[in-house]
Amino acid sequence: MEAVTCTGCSLLCNDIEAAVTDEKLFHVKNLCRKGHGHFQAAFSERTVPMIDGQKATIDQAIARAAEILSSAKKPLLYGWSNCTLEAQAAGVRLAEKLGATIDDTSSFCQGILMERILDGRIPTCTLDDVRNYADTSIFWGADPSNSHPRHLSRFSYYPRGEKRQKSYEEERTCIAVDVRRSATAEICSNYYYRVAPGSDEQFIEAVLAVLDGKIPKVADKKKMIELGSILKKTEYGVIFPGLGMVYSLQEKMDLFERLVARLNEITAFKVVPMVGHYNTRGFNELLREKTGFINRVSFSGGAPAHGPEHSVMAAAKSCDAALVIGSDPLFALPFATAKALAKVPLIAIDPRRSLATDAARVVIPSAISGLEAGGTAVRMDGMRVKFEPFLKTDLLTDEQILTKIMEAI
Amino acid sequence: MAPEVVVTIVTVSDIFQDEAGRKSRFSDQYRDLSARIFLDKQDLAALGAKDGQRVRVAGELREGETASIVVTAKADEDEAHPGLAFMFSSPWSNQLAIEPASAVGEAAVPAFKSIRATVTVSDENVTGISEIFSRMRG
Repeated sequence: MEAVTCTGCSLLCNDIEAAVTDEKLFHVKNLCRKGHGHFQAAFSERTVPMIDGQKATIDQAIARAAEILSSAKKPLLYGWSNCTLEAQAAGVRLAEKLGATIDDTSSFCQGILMERILDGRIPTCTLDDVRNYADTSIFWGADPSNSHPRHLSRFSYYPRGEKRQKSYEEERTCIAVDVRRSATAEICSNYYYRVAPGSDEQFIEAVLAVLDGKIPKVADKKKMIELGSILKKTEYGVIFPGLGMVYSLQEKMDLFERLVARLNEITAFKVVPMVGHYNTRGFNELLREKTGFINRVSFSGGAPAHGPEHSVMAAAKSCDAALVIGSDPLFALPFATAKALAKVPLIAIDPRRSLATDAARVVIPSAISGLEAGGTAVRMDGMRVKFEPFLKTDLLTDEQILTKIMEAI
Repeated sequence: MAPEVVVTIVTVSDIFQDEAGRKSRFSDQYRDLSARIFLDKQDLAALGAKDGQRVRVAGELREGETASIVVTAKADEDEAHPGLAFMFSSPWSNQLAIEPASAVGEAAVPAFKSIRATVTVSDENVTGISEIFSRMRG
């Protein structure tokens, strides 16, 4: 049995065994619970081509989508995080051709941190480096036990790596910084540092203080001094920031950058953002390569323009048509954004029923990438992963659909 | 007047809820796992509510515009944190999430992890996904 890649999250686990019979999974190995849900999704609530609530052919749906987009003055192309690099590239070409705004989920997730990683302002490493060398892993506003279930077992805590043969029993320390005792914090046990919501800035100030041998301005000084001691003794540390940390710091991300720089004056410390969707980083890298920006780009003036006014949240209110693919904004975004998007002519390219497909004027079914369509994606740490489909389908891939729309415009 | 508590809601992820959502975001199972709020035991007592009881969670999206949902209250087993509540990220929590002020800084993200809300006991049905969808279309 050939190994299959799971596109359920940005770990892109490529050691999955799966076999199907009678349109059901009958054998799976190495899938986490999240991945299992992702694989099972192939067998229910599949979409069919629709135009204005009526069934249509795929060609009719694609033609109607092209009509809507070409007649729009300010189209928005949004989603992309659950698409292959090949589909994302077709999406950027379509945005250029239409003079559209293009944005992805990083716009309201890890974007501000990922930008610093890709610019080289914050040092990073691969997850394989983590497995081989890391002796300290810090999960900061992140709970991989729930969000990236195999993170600890494949890379950051349990496995025996090249230089970490004694692994979690003796050689690895995992630390959780969080507003609650999450499942991951439970594993970190005594090395759980509780922060009040929105107080990550004060936590960083306290860490900087203990690294400089000063008394930290926190209630539990002893515990903070203990953390400083662990950090100083670390040989190869990795920080995994989650949305908890990113949302808390926001405009003050420079402070985190300063902390990482300070840690690197003492020892090696890297940062790997806990990207959620399987190819968010791929979109960020691709768009950056083509435009210089990782997200929030408008081609309305020909040359790419970047700014918060081109974020999905802003564009949802100003666009006159939207194509959503690789994410459901009605499911994932604040009510006001979802409501705005539900009111514009919406084209939803989605393998499965979603709130967006229910609201869409045009629904175009697609093959599920990783399961039914092959392609390339970028793991959370920047590693490129190529995968082949393991389920047969007659459905078009995202890339094929986008290419056909472009040809029809 | 019915007792109420004011909380800051932090949204978090949950593997069981995530799996249910991947199977179907329109299922009763996904609704049951998403439409819940984890309250500190002290806050639960202040409401006169028990674990499993329904509560209305209301927030102000912007001046003059409010939103509310009915969800199941769960007693949080973590150490005491009155005033702090947790919900799993979903269209239910998104009903209360505030957008950033328009076109502000580069970092502008919605307040997914700092939702201010007022909680009161309710005898209404838990808000369904169809109602949430109707609100979007309304």
